[in-house]
Amino acid sequence: MSLDLNYREVSKVFGAGGKTPVEALKKVSFTIKPGELFCLLGPSGCGKTTLLRSTAGLESITSGQIFYGGRDMTSIPPFRRNIGMVFQSFALYPHMNIFENVAYGLRVRKTPEAEVRRKVSEVMELVGLTEELKRNPSPAGLSGGQQQRVAIARALVYDPDLLLLDEPLANLDAKLRRYMRAEIRRIQKATNITTIFVTHDQEEAMAVGDRLAVMRRGVVEQIGSSDELYNKPNSAFVANFIGKMNFFKATLALWDGEEVRARIIGPDFELEAGKGRNHLPVGTGVGSRIVVGARPEQLSVGLRRVEGAMAGKVNIIQHLGQFVRYEVSVDPVVSAQPFEVDMPGLVSGIAEGDEVYVTIKKGLASLYLPEEGQSE
Amino acid sequence: MKDRNLDSSISSTEHGGFKKFLQKDLTPYLVFLIPMAFLCVFLFWPLVTTLLRAFMKSGNKFDLGALGVSGFEKFFTSALYQRSLRNSFIVGISVTLCSLFIGVPMGYFVARVKIPGKSLLLSLGILPVIMPSFIGAFSWIILLGRQGVLRHFINIVLVPLGLELPPIYGMFGMIFCMSLTYYPFVFLLSHGAFSSANALLEDAGMLMGAGRWRVLRTITFPLVIPSIGAAALLVFIRSIGNFGIPAIIGGDQYVLPTLIYFRVNGFWDLNGASSIAVVNVLITGAVLWFQKYVVSRREYETISASHVEIQQHKHPVLRVVAFLYCLVVLLVSLAPQIVIIVMSFFEKWQGLLPEGFTLANFSKIPKNSPKELLNSLYLSTIATLLTAILGSIIAYITERRKPKGAGILDMAVMAPFILPGTVVSVALLSAFSGRSAIPLGGTYTIIIIAYMVRRTPYVYRSVAASLTQLNPSLEEASTIAGAHWIYTFRRVSVPLILPGIISGSILTFSTLLQELSTTILLYGARTRTVPIQIYGAVADGKMGEASALSVLLLIVVFAIVYATNKSKGRDLSAGLKM
Repeated sequence: MSLDLNYREVSKVFGAGGKTPVEALKKVSFTIKPGELFCLLGPSGCGKTTLLRSTAGLESITSGQIFYGGRDMTSIPPFRRNIGMVFQSFALYPHMNIFENVAYGLRVRKTPEAEVRRKVSEVMELVGLTEELKRNPSPAGLSGGQQQRVAIARALVYDPDLLLLDEPLANLDAKLRRYMRAEIRRIQKATNITTIFVTHDQEEAMAVGDRLAVMRRGVVEQIGSSDELYNKPNSAFVANFIGKMNFFKATLALWDGEEVRARIIGPDFELEAGKGRNHLPVGTGVGSRIVVGARPEQLSVGLRRVEGAMAGKVNIIQHLGQFVRYEVSVDPVVSAQPFEVDMPGLVSGIAEGDEVYVTIKKGLASLYLPEEGQSE
Repeated sequence: MKDRNLDSSISSTEHGGFKKFLQKDLTPYLVFLIPMAFLCVFLFWPLVTTLLRAFMKSGNKFDLGALGVSGFEKFFTSALYQRSLRNSFIVGISVTLCSLFIGVPMGYFVARVKIPGKSLLLSLGILPVIMPSFIGAFSWIILLGRQGVLRHFINIVLVPLGLELPPIYGMFGMIFCMSLTYYPFVFLLSHGAFSSANALLEDAGMLMGAGRWRVLRTITFPLVIPSIGAAALLVFIRSIGNFGIPAIIGGDQYVLPTLIYFRVNGFWDLNGASSIAVVNVLITGAVLWFQKYVVSRREYETISASHVEIQQHKHPVLRVVAFLYCLVVLLVSLAPQIVIIVMSFFEKWQGLLPEGFTLANFSKIPKNSPKELLNSLYLSTIATLLTAILGSIIAYITERRKPKGAGILDMAVMAPFILPGTVVSVALLSAFSGRSAIPLGGTYTIIIIAYMVRRTPYVYRSVAASLTQLNPSLEEASTIAGAHWIYTFRRVSVPLILPGIISGSILTFSTLLQELSTTILLYGARTRTVPIQIYGAVADGKMGEASALSVLLLIVVFAIVYATNKSKGRDLSAGLKM
């Protein structure tokens, strides 16, 4: 039976009272559903690891509460929380063989020997290490991927209420990482234990998680499925963290019920926000600085000047298999960054160095408040 | 498990707060309390008493009503005090300079010149530090004393020229012996620095057109200065606190530690001794401050992605010079050990050759010093066991639990490392002798406590070093798996830091067997140890007996250290660092 996990206004301040207190978590509140594989995603220093360690009880939180299945665990010491955790370094014991490593949590719980043997072989079968268990080497005698499996087995063997994974794939090479993330998903679904998976790699998070939370500076920016986060990012930060987004500097021209229009600075034309793509906070005044965002595949590039097009110059053309990416630099008044435009194939007549026109496909423009540094 | 969600609802009330307090795991505080209590009673309290006594009139009366500075006035009025202070300074500075002079080239040669037998040089190099220093002093008396063998030879050459080599007693003897005892600190630390420096930095210098000498002067030396500075500090602190060498070879020249001994042993003047102890500690403190704020400011973080094997000099002349230099230094510094071994088999050695081969020196040991042998073994063993436990726990607390005030705890534990042995014993005597609340004068306990206070830094540093190399997530994984921290400590931490605990303990045991400077003020008729017996025999001129006992001590200490070095992965040097 899996539990839900509930954070209520969880805050953590490092060095409170000192000269430079650091607010690692700022009133974080959300709920993870029973049996869910939930990813915490964000750049380094965003508080995702602090939140994970607070969930485990390895860090004490400054204020707020954490509930497992409705039970307040905030002041329960970590060793009484019945959770499993896989560390970035795997943290396998070099002075024990893999059997003893996996059996550790059972030994702590004074489980009878026969039961220990049964459970260890069960969990080793689940993670696919039955053969290795027969040889029973010390962890140093295993490959990185096998060590990872031992670490997962060790965390699962005593049927924890919650499984925590702290950047579990960071120590593996790229190919193995892709394979292991599928394995982790398979094992999680087989056990149905509520799981938190911390990573800074958005591709990994989107591939693994049922739902994702994107964190920044101690705050959860957005929670949703991979699809929701990619297609309906609610801030410029999330939009650019989950995948790539191009931004045009603009001002708010009109907000009248359903109809919202932005005026692009520079070429000075108006543009209607796509349906459900206005992410400006209610009350944003007409004339405020905003940004208009569009993903590379939501832009198109052509040789003819059309209504609502921006002139630019092609820097690089990259053939990337399923699509062709055009990097186009535009007037810095519109965007300091060059745009990335993905076209389904080569556009005939366009070569590197050519003058082109970039347009946002109809109904796909999203409006956001500018990030720091985007408004100037 | 269900009752747990009850208290969250009432946690704001006072009752709930108390309940929460009871529910909290109190064991860390309990375990934290034991070492703290030990340090308070046996370190802080004695040091405070010493400081108070330093301001009392000479004698041993503890009288808070009459504080004054008469104890310190003697440094301005008494010629003996002034000379001792001056001698201490001269010895400290000269020994430091000589050690640098001997040790830095040797470190450079072994690290950077292709010469044979490097690992042997390194392992023999540490011996003078580990071997009892006062034994070195008395064997130099055999060689260069009034009837010294070597002096006899040299004077055969010198006398016709109208010169005469004086006996080694006095300032020269002290500086000579101490330099040969302490240069290994400089040798080993500078060797470490020279061999770990990033060769790319030097290669870059050369590619930019600097010559070998210029690279050495502008790149290599500035990078190793912090290590050499640390070694110099270690040598200064050790030499200014050394008791055995000045006591045996100082002749009529006193230094502060021997002056302290003189005040306590001659006059039972604990207050006067405390004044001297305070001055002694002040000097050490000043030098420590100098090192911390002047030398360590020049520490550099090497920025580098890769590390390249250091190129070794292969010039044949340099290789010969370097090898001979190291060989000569090693032979001279190990000569005392050889002399002692020869001496132990003879009745006397006053002319060219030792006379009267005999085994009596050894066969007399069980009859003359049975108690001393047992005492040394008993005191060292008990003290080592307790030190290992205390040092490991404190290291674990400061490294892992990181309570508030961990920095103070760290400083408190390390304080005895820089305190001269005689100062520690004066402090313990001030607090626990005579009509003290806890009278311990003349007991085994006071010696064991003194040993623990003095040697805890060895285990502490050694264990702390292993702990910093241990990824905390290994312990966290155990906590998460449901283990109480005591279980984690027992099943995960201890097995993994065992090498650190063992090497710290071995260093403790082997140095305690030869401990003289603390014991000399604390022993009673019942609690005499082997070093005390040797010291007494030397004072009585019984060189044969003293040598035989010393050989016994040398064999035991050497066997321990050799066995340790043989077993892989043990590094004794961690405990010697600050």
